[in-house]
Amino acid sequence: MGVMRIGHINIRVLDMDAALAHYEGVLGLTRTAKDDAGNVYLKGWDEWDKYSLILTQSDKAGMINIAYKVENDADLDALGKRIRDYGITVDDLPEGAVPFCGRAIRFNLPSGHEMVLYAQKEMLGKAVGVTNPEPWPDGLKGAGVHWLDHALLMCELDPEKGINKVAENTTFMRECLDFYLSEQVLVGPDGDIQAATWMFRTSTPHDIAFVGGPVMGLHHLAFYLDDWSAVLKAADVMAKRQVKVDVTPQRHGITRGSTIYFFDPSGNRNETFAGLGYLAQPDMPPITWTEENLWRGIFYHTGEEAGKFTTVYT
Amino acid sequence: MSERAHTVTITDTDESFRCGEGTVVLKAMVTLGYRGVTSGCHGGGCGVCKVRVDEGSYDAAVMSRAHVSEAEERDRVVLACRIKPRSDLRLSVVGGIGKVIARQQKKFGLV
Repeated sequence: MGVMRIGHINIRVLDMDAALAHYEGVLGLTRTAKDDAGNVYLKGWDEWDKYSLILTQSDKAGMINIAYKVENDADLDALGKRIRDYGITVDDLPEGAVPFCGRAIRFNLPSGHEMVLYAQKEMLGKAVGVTNPEPWPDGLKGAGVHWLDHALLMCELDPEKGINKVAENTTFMRECLDFYLSEQVLVGPDGDIQAATWMFRTSTPHDIAFVGGPVMGLHHLAFYLDDWSAVLKAADVMAKRQVKVDVTPQRHGITRGSTIYFFDPSGNRNETFAGLGYLAQPDMPPITWTEENLWRGIFYHTGEEAGKFTTVYT
Repeated sequence: MSERAHTVTITDTDESFRCGEGTVVLKAMVTLGYRGVTSGCHGGGCGVCKVRVDEGSYDAAVMSRAHVSEAEERDRVVLACRIKPRSDLRLSVVGGIGKVIARQQKKFGLV
């Protein structure tokens, strides 16, 4: 019942050819469709639905919307009602309005980010099939990422003005969509300002994250890799192709994942994220990181801000 | 044969460095260890490297209209990650979102 997992993310790119060279050649996604408007659809080899990434040509970078897949068609009605009762406007979208998907609902998070829920998407299958499959397919390009894992959305946070869209989103996701809190950062003189949260519906530490900043935006979209060695090889791929790397391979204290942050050719931050972290369950007590330790949480090895983590995003 | 190079000067910090005609100005700057312009996404998307080209000519690639308007681009306000020099250049930092964020950040360590 309810939300199963992240389904897809639609991002804007400044140069479609450069974007495709990146998402196919560096990440290793496969192009599965192109529509009349010029949007291109891609998937990871280990994903079965038709796409997890939509690229849209635009004159700016950033995210158009993020979509999660629910288990049953009836969940769209039940969740739609809860969201409306919460006081948020919900649009009902007919089959096909979200390309290659059944009917869907669309609304904005308290932070302003557009979210879509759908129950059905055209299915292509994994690259290795379902009958006696090999553990990985031949012909993978670049990092050969498995799947779209999660996204981190930047949300307006200005405690002096009483604005905290991180906390508002977190409450909304818990109360309306039954997401669970795995980890949070609490800051401020009294340690009571929720400045960042990580939430899940699967059994991994996060399917979405929210971090406070001056303006809303997309911080990163993350793709899954098996382990450290895959992360290190991905870093070689990026160096070979002169991708702009933001943070070289490192471990997160929060979620325990191992990571690289880098940018696509339009400046949208990507992450290759490895490891399932730990078993996340609804009854797991949430983890709290305090202000003086938050950078150990984000970059565990150095314990310091690295790259332009909080200041650069689209 | 090495490519033709020009001298780029950042007025705010009085830094000068060489940049080939085929090389992006911000990339040349960070590669040579200078820091006068804030280095961000290097893709024309985040807007933190916004500068005005006060002197010289350049080629500009596509950059986000969320950060540089058409009028600004006509007025030689660009993202340093999107321009390649055709002559010696003199730049001054404009800032944009980078300055806004820099002012607000670290209030509580994170935001």
